[in-house]
Amino acid sequence: MTDLNCDAIQARLQACTSKEATFKELVSLSKQLKRLTDADKIEENKVKGCESAVWLVEHQNNGLCTFQADSDAKLMRGVLMVILSLVNGHSKAELQQRDLIAELSEFNLSSYLTSSRTNGVLGILKQIQANDPSNL
Amino acid sequence: MAFDANRLREQFPILKLEANDHPLVYLDNAATTQKPQAVLDALIAYYTTSNANVHRGAHYLSDRATTQFEQARDRVAHFINAEQADHVIWTKGTTESINLVAYGLEWCLKPDDEILITSLEHHANLVPWQQLAFRTGARLRVLPLTSKGEWEPEYERYFNEHTRIFACTQISNAIGVKTPIKEMLAAAKAVNAFTLVDGAQAVAHYPIDVQDLDCDFYVFSGHKMYGPTGIGVLYGKPHALEVLTPVQTGGEMVRHVTYNSTEFNVLPYRLEAGTPHIEGVIGLAAACDFLTSQDREEMVQWEQRLARYVYDELKFNTAIEIYSPASDTTVVSLSVPGIHTMDLNGYLDSQGVAVRAGSHCAHPLMAQLGVSSTLRASFACYNTLSEARRFCDVLLEAIEILGDD
Repeated sequence: MTDLNCDAIQARLQACTSKEATFKELVSLSKQLKRLTDADKIEENKVKGCESAVWLVEHQNNGLCTFQADSDAKLMRGVLMVILSLVNGHSKAELQQRDLIAELSEFNLSSYLTSSRTNGVLGILKQIQANDPSNL
Repeated sequence: MAFDANRLREQFPILKLEANDHPLVYLDNAATTQKPQAVLDALIAYYTTSNANVHRGAHYLSDRATTQFEQARDRVAHFINAEQADHVIWTKGTTESINLVAYGLEWCLKPDDEILITSLEHHANLVPWQQLAFRTGARLRVLPLTSKGEWEPEYERYFNEHTRIFACTQISNAIGVKTPIKEMLAAAKAVNAFTLVDGAQAVAHYPIDVQDLDCDFYVFSGHKMYGPTGIGVLYGKPHALEVLTPVQTGGEMVRHVTYNSTEFNVLPYRLEAGTPHIEGVIGLAAACDFLTSQDREEMVQWEQRLARYVYDELKFNTAIEIYSPASDTTVVSLSVPGIHTMDLNGYLDSQGVAVRAGSHCAHPLMAQLGVSSTLRASFACYNTLSEARRFCDVLLEAIEILGDD
């Protein structure tokens, strides 16, 4: 989980000039996502509202958050790579102050981020910004 | 002359669009169809020459609007072969039509009564009945149909003296299979149940004759049959419409009002509270005219031929599972085990091919099929053989790109 270079990912996605190119880039990114084990892919880690299943697990260390996430769909795993590169290694208080939707829109992913019922990205960002009850 | 889809599609301006740098291939017709120029013209003409509220004012425009509005009711009644125009109630669509019946019949249900649906229903023809059962203590029962639309004669025991309502789709939205509607309606009538047929997936493809079906209620949406969104129909036999309690009350549906009482208007107005979707009604009538001016038999044969082409192209591919029947359908619903349908959909979209990936508002049916979602290509009269071929080619590309780990 160390090579989540946010700028490099952004550069790669911004270089995509077609939906096909973005698709292929996301598929390629998806291969770098560290998968969750079955033990973590449980109902309570599931993010609601995604057409593909998405699991999100949060750890806190010295006040900094580390998220791990997984999905049964590749495109979503690519999007999760982007999201994790943005949010990992920051404090919850900082994450709550940032406009993650606006930051994500810089990644040339607009058509993947529509707030339709087939897409749970907004739900994922909300959950990342929410206080984790187990860490209160 | 043979059916000419290439010529017909000239009437649909949106089909000239490009999507994601590719020619648009629109195969999501079971979700909604595109609209012919005649329907678009009818909407513009209404607003440019006739816009006024109906049934109220007595002035030039309101007379025009009311005349067109009620003529539209005649045309839609004729389209489904209803006995009379006032058996046609305007609604927002299939879902509202079913809810009007589910709430309107609440008075006649008591604990121990049964509401019967089938295992091929869209949520729109499931949840309103389930909630009605919750409110009244009646039981919701599900008649098992196979994914091939077959039923077993012994299932007749599902129709019994407790069965008060039988609601069934004519064609499954998720997999495109026809149900044995006439046999089931006969069984329901034999036990004096109210009968409702969900025709949402049938009206664009097959001529509808509600008198021949002999159901109490028939419901459908305009937007799935080349008409506008937000307009639909609840057809009912007079005795069935008469016993529905109006769910919505207010203007238009009343004759006389005091602070202590209200005398409701006659049908169809009694069930149409408020200002109706006037331009939707007029657009829907134009869509009926569009359909009746086609050779319906040749049209549906063409649509079925496209589905059959896709079925035959993919049936021997061991990576693909097809849930739709081989013939007599306009839909091909499939999955590729090991690849998420949203990923397949993402690649198809990147190539300009519009299909539907998901559970198609039919979670229990997906469970019956053992999948969480399918990819559905659904055909309309304006689709071409080269579009069907393009869908197959792009799907196979998607499988190659996505299946490499």
